[in-house]
Amino acid sequence: MTDIKQYLLLRHRDIAGLDQLETYRQSGGFEAFQKAVTGMQPGQVTDVVKASGLRGRGGAGFPTGMKWSFIDNKNWPHYVVANADESEPGTFKDREIMTYNPFQFLEGLALCAYAVSAHEAYVYLRGEFWQVAAILDRCIAEMEAAGLLGDKLFGTDYSLRLHTHLGAGAYICGEETALLESMEGKLGQPRLRPPFPPSFGLYGKPTIVNNVETLTNLPLIIEKGAEWYRSYGTDRSPGVKIFSLSGCVNKPGNYELPLGTTFRELIYQHGGGLPEGRKIKSIMPAGASSSLIVATEEALDTAMDYESVPNVGAQLGSASVIVIDDSVNVAWLIHKTIEFFKHESCGKCTPCREGTYWMLHLTERIAGGHATSQDVELLHDVASQMKGKCFCALGEFSIEAVLSGIERFPQDFEHE
Amino acid sequence: MSKLVTLTIDDKQVTVPEGTVIVDAAKKVGIDIPVFCYHPKMEPVGMCRMCLVDVGRPVIDRATGQPVLEPDGSPKVQFGPKLETACTTLVSEGMVVVGMSEKVKAGRKDVLEFLLTSHPLDCPVCDKGGECPLQNLTMGFGPGESRFLYDEKMHLAKHVPLGDLIFLDRERCIQCGRCVRFQSEVVDDPVIGFYNRGRKLEIRTYSDPGFDSYFSGNTSDICPVGALTTVDFRFGARPWEMRTTASICTHCAVGCNLAFNVRREAKAGGDIVIKRAMPRQNEQVNELWICDKGRFGYHFAESGGASPLERLAQPLVRRGGELQPASWDEALRLAAEGLHQAGRELLALVGGRLSNEDLFNIQALAQGLGGKIGLDTYMAGGDLVSQVGLGQGSNLGDLGQGSAILVVACDLEEEAPIWWLRLKRAVERGASLIVANPRPTKLERYAAHILRYGYGSEAATVAALLDAIDGKQNAANSGIKAAAEAITGLGNLVVVYGSEGLGLQGSQALAQACANLLIATGHFGQPNNGLLAVWPHANDQGAWEMGLRPLPDLPAALQAAKALYVAASDPLGDDPALAEALRALPFVVVQDLFLTETARLANVVLPALPFTERDGSFTSGERRVQRYYPAVLARPDARPDYAISGEICKRAGVEAEISSAAGVFARLAEKVPAYQGLNYRMLAQTAEQWPIVGRPDVYYGGTAYENTQGLGVQVKPGAQDGPPPARGALGAAPALPLQAGERLAVPVTRLYDHGSTIAHTGLLHARTPAPYVALHPGELPASDGAEVQLSLGGQVFTVTLRLDEALPAGVVLVPRSLGLPLRGPQAVELKVK
Amino acid sequence: MFLIELARGMGTTLRMLFEKPVTIQYPEEKRPVHTRFKGRHSLHRYENGLEKCIGCALCAAACPADAIFVESSENTDEQRFSPGERYASTYEINFLRCIFCGYCEDACPTEAIVLGDNYELTFSDRREAIYGKDRLLVPVPPGGQPTPQQTEPGVFTRSIPVMENPKD
Repeated sequence: MTDIKQYLLLRHRDIAGLDQLETYRQSGGFEAFQKAVTGMQPGQVTDVVKASGLRGRGGAGFPTGMKWSFIDNKNWPHYVVANADESEPGTFKDREIMTYNPFQFLEGLALCAYAVSAHEAYVYLRGEFWQVAAILDRCIAEMEAAGLLGDKLFGTDYSLRLHTHLGAGAYICGEETALLESMEGKLGQPRLRPPFPPSFGLYGKPTIVNNVETLTNLPLIIEKGAEWYRSYGTDRSPGVKIFSLSGCVNKPGNYELPLGTTFRELIYQHGGGLPEGRKIKSIMPAGASSSLIVATEEALDTAMDYESVPNVGAQLGSASVIVIDDSVNVAWLIHKTIEFFKHESCGKCTPCREGTYWMLHLTERIAGGHATSQDVELLHDVASQMKGKCFCALGEFSIEAVLSGIERFPQDFEHE
Repeated sequence: MSKLVTLTIDDKQVTVPEGTVIVDAAKKVGIDIPVFCYHPKMEPVGMCRMCLVDVGRPVIDRATGQPVLEPDGSPKVQFGPKLETACTTLVSEGMVVVGMSEKVKAGRKDVLEFLLTSHPLDCPVCDKGGECPLQNLTMGFGPGESRFLYDEKMHLAKHVPLGDLIFLDRERCIQCGRCVRFQSEVVDDPVIGFYNRGRKLEIRTYSDPGFDSYFSGNTSDICPVGALTTVDFRFGARPWEMRTTASICTHCAVGCNLAFNVRREAKAGGDIVIKRAMPRQNEQVNELWICDKGRFGYHFAESGGASPLERLAQPLVRRGGELQPASWDEALRLAAEGLHQAGRELLALVGGRLSNEDLFNIQALAQGLGGKIGLDTYMAGGDLVSQVGLGQGSNLGDLGQGSAILVVACDLEEEAPIWWLRLKRAVERGASLIVANPRPTKLERYAAHILRYGYGSEAATVAALLDAIDGKQNAANSGIKAAAEAITGLGNLVVVYGSEGLGLQGSQALAQACANLLIATGHFGQPNNGLLAVWPHANDQGAWEMGLRPLPDLPAALQAAKALYVAASDPLGDDPALAEALRALPFVVVQDLFLTETARLANVVLPALPFTERDGSFTSGERRVQRYYPAVLARPDARPDYAISGEICKRAGVEAEISSAAGVFARLAEKVPAYQGLNYRMLAQTAEQWPIVGRPDVYYGGTAYENTQGLGVQVKPGAQDGPPPARGALGAAPALPLQAGERLAVPVTRLYDHGSTIAHTGLLHARTPAPYVALHPGELPASDGAEVQLSLGGQVFTVTLRLDEALPAGVVLVPRSLGLPLRGPQAVELKVK
Repeated sequence: MFLIELARGMGTTLRMLFEKPVTIQYPEEKRPVHTRFKGRHSLHRYENGLEKCIGCALCAAACPADAIFVESSENTDEQRFSPGERYASTYEINFLRCIFCGYCEDACPTEAIVLGDNYELTFSDRREAIYGKDRLLVPVPPGGQPTPQQTEPGVFTRSIPVMENPKD
C-alpha cells in the first residue's frame, strides 16, 4: 500500500533511497502492476486511466486513456515507447524522475504495456542521458531478477521485457514519429501523419508513445483509482504536474503541484520570487516553444492548466516555466530561442529549414544592434510565413516566441 | 474496380478512383498544382510544402450522419484551419479544393521565397535553366525581389562528383529528397542518402565507386533544380536551343524509348550533333526511365572527336593485297559479282543490332542467290518466343496480384536493367516471383522462391518444375514443389529466360522447357502471359520473327562457304580462333560502322549508318515493333544497311526494295506472318499516357519527354490466333567431358563491357571491369585480385581473378565481351601466373 | 507682288550661303556619338584580364534576330577563361542579322556583352559578317593577363565575383 505524504511523482523527496528496489517495494511499489496483471483485463486498465482524465505530460496534453484506446487491435505485435528525449529548453523533470524515482516510472511503463498488450517496451532517452540510461538498465536488471519482468509474470501468461535506447543528440527526436524513425535506425525526421503511431508506429506496428512523467502517474492511478486522482488538480486538467521553474527566480527547480496552481504561487511562494530589485516582465510556460506571456497581475493569477493558460495567449505545454525579468531584452531572448531551433531543425520541410535559418540571421542583427525597423517587420513577416505551413510542431512552435515577442514587447525592438 | 470519388477542384468537377491524391486528381482535369518533392511514380512525403492548398470537406452532422446543408441546398463545406498538402491528401467524396485563391498563392510565394533564400544565383551557369521547375514556378508564383541579404546566404560545396557520372551542386539542392527516394524506393539501390540536418541537410553517396547504380542518370531528370547534372551534358546547350527526335535504345532487348536532343555546333565544324539522350515516355516499355548504358552509351555513333575509333568514311576495296578507298559504284559492283558467283555457297552473317528493314534485305539477297544466312548470336529459342511470346496487350506494368513470374538463367539487372526494374515493381504490386539461377543475383531480393541448380541443369530444372505442376512425383526438391504450388492457381504466368552460363544448345533447350511449361499450363496467347527472352541485342527478336536462325556450327559453316557477307557482326573480333577459316574464304564483304577485325580481312568494306543517322524499326523482346527516327544528318559517304544490301541485290539480279525504310517495312510486313497489316503510320501512333509528363509543367514528372512520335505496336504471338502449340522434346543435355586439369567455364553477362557499341563511351570506362574470371574461393591457390592465365580454345589470356563465396564450386565464370571468346559452356584450363 | 516673293526666296538662298553648313566631311571628320549609342558589340574583361562572359547564352535567347550563337565549356584552373565554372568557348554574332536593339546587353548578367560606338561595319563576304570571339573580345586591360590564364585553385569560384544587394 503506497503511503502518500507530499509527493505523488517526486516521492524520493519524501522517502530516501527510493531508487533501491527493496525500498520501493516496501513503500508499496509494484503492487499496482501485480494487481493489474493478475486481476484486471488490459481494457479495464485503459478504462481506469480514461476515467482519471490523465493527459499527456510531454507538452501536447492529449488524454492518455483515449490515445491507448486508438491502438489497432488487428495488427500485432504492439509496442510501447517511453519518450525520455526531454530536450525542450527549460525542461528537466523527467531527468529527476528517472534518476531518483526510476521504479515508479518503470512500473508505469509496464502498466501501459499491459494495458495495450505489448510484450516489448522501450525507453528512448536523449543521447546525453547515458548516465540516466545506466541507472535504468540497472533497475531493469533488478526487476528481471526479482521476477517483475520476463516471461509468465506473476504466474500469468503475460510476458514483458523493457529496453533502453539512446538517441544521438537531436531535439527533433522528441517528436514521436521522428523518435520512432530514430529507433529504427533511420534519419530522425518526422513521418507523415496520418497514419498515427497507434495504427502505424515502430516498424509499422501499433505503438503507444508516452512521456516519462505521464507514465509515472500510472501506478498510483491504478492502485488508488481514478476518483482519487481526480481529487487533485482541476476538473478538465486533473492530477499533479511537475513544473520545472527556471530563469530569473531565486529558487529554480522542479516543483510538483496540482494543476490549476497559479503562476504567482509557483513563482513567488515556491520559487522564492525574483532577485532583489528585479521586476517580472514575462513568463514562458512551455520552455523555448512558448509564446511570451506579458506578466500582468491578471496573468500571474492565471491557473496553470491546459484550459486557462490560453486565455493569456500561450500554451501550458510541458510546464517548463521560464521567468523573464526586466533585465532581459526580448530581442536577445528570441535570438537565443531561434538559435536553438535553427540548430535543431531536421531540415525536412522548407519553411522550418529555411525559415529558422533566416530568422537566426535577422535576430542576430536585431539583437546585435545593427538592424533597421524594417528588419523587425521582416522578422515578423518571416515568422508569419512559416505559420501553418510546417511539417511538424518544431517549426510551428519556433515562431511563437518571435511573434509574441515582437507584438507584445515592441519597445525591446526599438534601437537608437 | 475501385470505388470512384467525385470532388471539385477550382470549380472543376473530377471523378477519380478512391486512393488518388489531390495533385493527381487535379492533373486529370488539366489543373497543375505546383510540386517539388512529389513525383507520380513515388510515394508522397509532403516535405517541400509547395503544394499547399485549401481543402474543404462536406460537414456531416454527427448525430444523424447526414450532410449539413446550406440555405440554398448545397452541402456545407468546412475548410480546414491550415492549408493541406495536396500530394498527401487523399480525395474524398464532395471535397472542395481551392488552388487559386489569394491565400494559396501567398502560401506558394512564401515557400518559394524560403527556397530562394540560400539558392545560389546560378541560373546563367546552371544546366537546368530553361527546363527548371524552380525557375518556372518562381516566374509563376514567386517573389520578384529578395528580402534576404546576399552575404548571409549559406555557401556549400558546388560541383561535387557523386561518382563519375553525376555531379551534385549542394547549394542548388532544395532538399526535396526525390533522388534519395528514387534510389531507395524505385530502384532499391540506396547508394545516396541525406546527411546532417537543418539547413546543412545534404546529399552524400555511400558507395564506392560513388553513386554505384545503373539508374543514376534518372535522378538528374527528376531533380527539380540543377543540383544533379550529368557529366555527359555539362554545359552542353540550352534546352531551347536543341531539337528533339525520337529513337530507340540499341543496347538490349528492352527497347527503351529515347529522345535525342541535337544541336548544330561550331565545335563540330557545323555538324548537327547529339547533345544528350533522354527518356521518352512509354508506359508499356520503360515508363519514364532509362538505364545509364542507354543514357551515356550513344557515343559509338559519333566519329572522331571524343571517339577513339574512326567510323568508316567511304567504301574500301582490296587491290593488290591492301584495302583502298573506292567509289560506291565500284564497291557495290565488286560485292555483287563476288557474292553472285558464290551462289549457293554464299553465307550471310548478320548481327542483332540491325533493324528489321536491314535484316529483310540481307535475307532477300541470301535467299535470292540460294545461299545461307545465319544470325550471329549465342542465345537461341526465338522461334519459340514467336509462338508463345507475350500476348498482345501485355504490359509488365500491369503484372501484380495474381501473376507469377519465373526468371531462369538470368542476371536480369546486368542483362536488361529496365526489365529488372519493371519486375521488381510487379512484385511490389503483389506478383509472385520465382528466380532460378545457379548463383545469387540482385533479382533474388524480391523472389518468393529461389531455385538453385548447377550450371547445365537449366532445362532440367524447368522440366522438373513442370513435372511438379503436372503432379508427377518430384525428386525430393521442396523448392521446386513450393514454386510449383506458387504458380498453380495464379491467373498469369510470364517466363523470362536469359543466357546465364548458356550457349546456343543450352538456351534452345531452356527455351523449349519454358515453352513446354507455358503450353502445358495454358499460359500463352493472352495478355500478360508468355515467354520473354532477354536477348543481348536490340533486334534479335526481329531477326527470329523473320526466320533468321543462328548457325549451329559457325566454323563449319565458314569452311563450307565460298563467300561471306557480314553485316553488324565481327566474328574474328569475337573469336581470334576463326582467323584461319576466315582467311581461307575466297571472298568476304563486310558492312559495318567501323573497320572491325573481320573487315580488315575483307575484299569489300562498305560503310553503314548507325541508328542515329537513319530511320528503321526494332522488335523488342516483348515483341513490340517500334520505330526510330534519324537524329543527325547522315554522313555523306555511308548508307543505311538496307540500302547497301538492296543495291547489292539489284546488281546481283535479286529483287529488292531500297527506296526508304518505310518502303522496305511495307514489304516485310507482307512477308513476315507476325507483322501482317502493320505499317509505319501505325507504329507512329500515340495515345494519352499517365502520368502526364513532358508538358510545360516540368515539375510534375521531371524532364522526360512526351511521346509524340510513336508508342509502337505489340504483335500477336503465333499461338494467340493460331492453333494451340504442342510441347517439344528437350533433346539430350550436351555432354561436356573434362580432361584432367580442366574446368568448366560458363559465360555470364555484364552490363558494361567492351562491346563495340559501348566501348567508345569513355564515361563508362571507370565502371567497366578489366578482363577477369570469377571462382569460388579455394578452387585455386590464389587470392582475390591475383593474375591468372586462362587457356581457352587454343589461346592464352592473362586475367584478374575474382573470388566470390556465393558462386558454386567447380565452375569458372567468364564474362562476355571483355575479350575472352567464350560462346557457351566449355572446358578451359586455369593456372596461377 | 510676284517680285517681292521672288526677292524673299532669293534672300533666303543668299542667307543660306553664309550660314554654317551642318554637313561634315566624313570620313575625315566624324561626329561624336551620343552616350548610349548602340554600335558594334564587344565582349569585356575584368581588370585582371579574365573574360566577363560566362557562356550563359541569355543574350542568344534574348536576341530577336537570332544573331548570336554561344557554345559553353568548363573552366579549369589550368586553363581559365572566366571566373566560375563556365565560359563561352564559341561566341559568334552575325552582324547581317543583328538589328542593334541592345536586348543582349540588357540580358547579360555580367555586363560582358556591351554595345559600343562603332557603326562603321562593312563586309564583302557573308562569312566576314560573323564575328567570333577573336574579333569581339576587347584587348587585355593594363595590369591584366591574357586568357586562358593559370590561376590559383579556390580563388575564382563564383561566376559573378562581386554580388551585391540591389541599390536601386
